Amino acid sequence: MSEDPREVIRLSRDWLSVQEVVDSVSSSSCGAISVFIGTTREDQVDGRKVVGLEYEAYESMVQSEFSKLCDDIRARWPSVTHVCVHHRLGWVKVGEASVVMAISSPHRHDGQLAIQHCISQLKATVPIWKKEVYDTQEASWKVNSECSWSPGPDETSSESQNLK
Amino acid sequence: MTAQVIVLYFAKSAELSGLKEEELVAVPTPISSEDLWGLLLQKHPRLVALQGQVVLAVHQQYVAIGDQLVTLADGDEVAVVPPLSGG
Repeated sequence: MSEDPREVIRLSRDWLSVQEVVDSVSSSSCGAISVFIGTTREDQVDGRKVVGLEYEAYESMVQSEFSKLCDDIRARWPSVTHVCVHHRLGWVKVGEASVVMAISSPHRHDGQLAIQHCISQLKATVPIWKKEVYDTQEASWKVNSECSWSPGPDETSSESQNLK
Repeated sequence: MTAQVIVLYFAKSAELSGLKEEELVAVPTPISSEDLWGLLLQKHPRLVALQGQVVLAVHQQYVAIGDQLVTLADGDEVAVVPPLSGG
């Protein structure tokens, strides 16, 4: 594997492979691979059960925002080597992974901090949206509390707030 | 000066406008993001449901709704960006 630092974000309509994401960051110079997997929860909202999520994205801007996110990660933790994120688009049913990300680093401390920052910043800045679909066939667009233009807790929104 | 731009609607804004994209002609430039949002509200009044919970993206940079001026050229993309919910 080349040792030039790599960073990849891939949007996919297919089931995500954790192994593929892990393999794409592994490096003989790294003793740690830190991984985060976001999965679709079967939430209950007002007596309705979530059956799945529908994702869409502003694809060209996902790439540019991800680049900025990686620049930020590398500035904070210069030892971070490779970053890989795979994110679903389209329909994701309960129990499936919506996002898999992996970061490799020589030692685990930086990688563990970087992976937490990576998911928080993705939620704050990368133009992807999800709609919860309920067993009543209703749906509502989620908002991330990390996003600076989400409504505050005391503002009305016709949609529900995602506090995960 | 005016420009012809492509407006992209995502998530809730696509449902409110009924469109994924449309051409907007004779948009004054430079224009404040507030005035640009105002133009979109005129065309699609239901977008008002996003008032205070939306930003625009011009040249793939987020622009808050306010007095920031943006310079548009023919063929530029302007995206309506409701609160993000990736991950």
